[in-house]
Amino acid sequence: MGLIQCKEVCRKFGEKVALDHVSIDIPQGRIFGFLGPNGAGKTTLIRIINRIIMPDSGEILFNGHPVRQEDVERIGYLPEERGLYRKMKVGEQAMYFARLKGMGSREAMSELKMWFEKFGIQNWWNRKVEELSKGMAQKVQFITTVAHRPSLLILDEPFSGFDPVNAQLIRNEILGLKENGATIVLSTHNMESVEELCDGIALINKSKLVISGSVDGIRHKYGNNNVGLVYTSSSPVTSEPGLFDVLSDTGDSSRHTAVLSLKEGAGTSAVLQCLLDKGLSINSFKELIPRMNDIFIKLVTGGSEEPGQRMPM
Amino acid sequence: MNIRNIGVIISREYATRVRKKSFLVITFIVPVLFALLCTLPAIIMLLSKETGKKVEVTDRSGIVMPYLKDSDAVSFVDCSDGNLDTLKKNIVADGADAILCISPVDPETKSVKVDMYSIKPVSVDIKESIASMVGEAVEDYRLSSYSIDGLKQIMEDVKADITVSTYTVGEDGEDRMTSSEVYMIVSIVLTLVIYMFIAMFSGMVMTSVIEEKSSKVAEVLVSSVKAVELMFGKIIGVACVALTQFFLWIVLAAVIIVGINATVGLDSLMGADPDQAQEIARMSGMDMSMVDTVVSGNDSEMAAVFETLMDLNYGQLIFSFVVYFLLGYLLYASLFAAIGSAVDNEGDSTQLQLPVTIPLLLAFFIAFYAFEAPDSQLAFWGSIIPFTSPIVMLARLPFGVPAWELALSIVLLLLTFVALAYVSARIYRVGLLMSGKKTTFADLWKWLKQK
Repeated sequence: MGLIQCKEVCRKFGEKVALDHVSIDIPQGRIFGFLGPNGAGKTTLIRIINRIIMPDSGEILFNGHPVRQEDVERIGYLPEERGLYRKMKVGEQAMYFARLKGMGSREAMSELKMWFEKFGIQNWWNRKVEELSKGMAQKVQFITTVAHRPSLLILDEPFSGFDPVNAQLIRNEILGLKENGATIVLSTHNMESVEELCDGIALINKSKLVISGSVDGIRHKYGNNNVGLVYTSSSPVTSEPGLFDVLSDTGDSSRHTAVLSLKEGAGTSAVLQCLLDKGLSINSFKELIPRMNDIFIKLVTGGSEEPGQRMPM
Repeated sequence: MNIRNIGVIISREYATRVRKKSFLVITFIVPVLFALLCTLPAIIMLLSKETGKKVEVTDRSGIVMPYLKDSDAVSFVDCSDGNLDTLKKNIVADGADAILCISPVDPETKSVKVDMYSIKPVSVDIKESIASMVGEAVEDYRLSSYSIDGLKQIMEDVKADITVSTYTVGEDGEDRMTSSEVYMIVSIVLTLVIYMFIAMFSGMVMTSVIEEKSSKVAEVLVSSVKAVELMFGKIIGVACVALTQFFLWIVLAAVIIVGINATVGLDSLMGADPDQAQEIARMSGMDMSMVDTVVSGNDSEMAAVFETLMDLNYGQLIFSFVVYFLLGYLLYASLFAAIGSAVDNEGDSTQLQLPVTIPLLLAFFIAFYAFEAPDSQLAFWGSIIPFTSPIVMLARLPFGVPAWELALSIVLLLLTFVALAYVSARIYRVGLLMSGKKTTFADLWKWLKQK
């Protein structure tokens, strides 16, 4: 059972359907990515989980029960459009957000001081937000999101607006929070960070759930049983009926790089044996799994996939 | 609703405003400005007087010239020998501002015809003062034609100068000297202050909602607290600021009054307090008829002013002010909060504000009629109907309002506030997260019905 279970969640805005019977399980202690093109309904779903808006039908369960105010205090939310009071001092502002999340003043103060120190920004405490650069304000906002030690972090596009150094810093913090047991939901368009960070994903397109499950599972599912083969031989390898086809083969007279498409039911050992039998000297034999980026584009533009598919995590 | 969260929001809204320099500035500058505003009419009168106008006079009647007295404003030059046409031609060369031409006395009507020629039109003040001086000349001419000895003196003696002293009679049948003007002034001051307070502080709520929405803080906030909590926290926080300001002004006023009392002494300003005058009279052995004449002089007006001022029920005025301000403010602030939530920047708010600002302005105008006729139909309904009642009732209050009217008006205001707060909160909760498209009234209606 996931920490967050979305069950048949529907939401309309006027005539426009924003979410259409979306069901997702977000497992505890993992990093879970919400993917989807702009306007797919990700932000609406995130807002519903945060109880900012209510679903028309369906429900959200937090640890198996409907979300309550105490649960909201255990959520940390970083919206896509960042916002801080421009005229307010950084420290006071961070205190305010922490207090709204149910922390006592003293507790909030010590926790915030810890984070400010960690990020090396103690001297910003008394500065107004309007004096900070965009990247600096983002750091402050990240701190306000995590200071109350949330057990669920919802980060909408967490890396946008950060330079590579700070993006890495945030990435490490996210992994650190996961290690400490937090569940993290992040919505992003950056497929590399999905591959690097996420354990599971849900892909939403046109207000429907297209697929959800573990990143590895999905990548393998969309892998078309191709193998990358690097070998040394005087002549290029040829297709073997019942075992594999050669899709491409490049290289000079001795060293070749080929892509093989394995036939249904053909085991890799049989294929390897066959290749060895052909007298090839094999340098590398590697399963080719598609990148998330390709899967994303394929699913969003192709639309061939049956909607609502769920993969085991 | 979560009381703790509302408390945290209130304290932020309150603290950020009260610590601003502008709050201190307004607290101390506004009373000074207000005092200046009161003396403004006198200053305007002083500055608007014309001075040093030169008027050339051709007096064909032979009776008017001695009555034309020079003043700061005009000086008269006797040019009765001159020809009117040449005078007209040379008016600029002579440095004159106008030529006054008085016809010979008409034997039938025993009057004169007065013509005035000038390059620039003469002011009404000068025209009127000339008319009255010429009138005096003609009156005296006519009186003298009756050939009765001392007629002029007789006429002077006959003139009567009547002033009406007003009293209010209490239930105990005891009467108090009052000044209608004082009631009116107190009423004007109350109206201005409550209008200013409601407009200023509910506007402040709107600005602050727009700021939260456009800076996108709103979304973070509503992920921690309910939109309704945020809205009421803000409205209550700003109300506390208003009450603080009001309280500081009362303290300031009290300090000033005590200060004046200590240095000059209020009693000496009210020298005509009847009891005191009687006391003084008895001690100095004067008889009571003399005291009456002392009291009934010009001083009695002063006495009435002070007695009225002393007699006003300040407790009730301040209490009603606070109650009506709070309710009126809550009503308008929740509407303004809803409007603020529906727009992305302050510029777009003008159109949506209109239905809310119109009743507020209307109340202000009705209040102006209420000064003059506090018990008229217009003033009565204005002080009962919730949107105008906070302002109009305050205008009526110094003149005395029956308790049932007060109660009815307060209850209606409270009920309307509760109903509109519900409506506003529903709009606010949706509007806060909307952006991009410009909001119309149709959208507001949709949001209101949205689940």
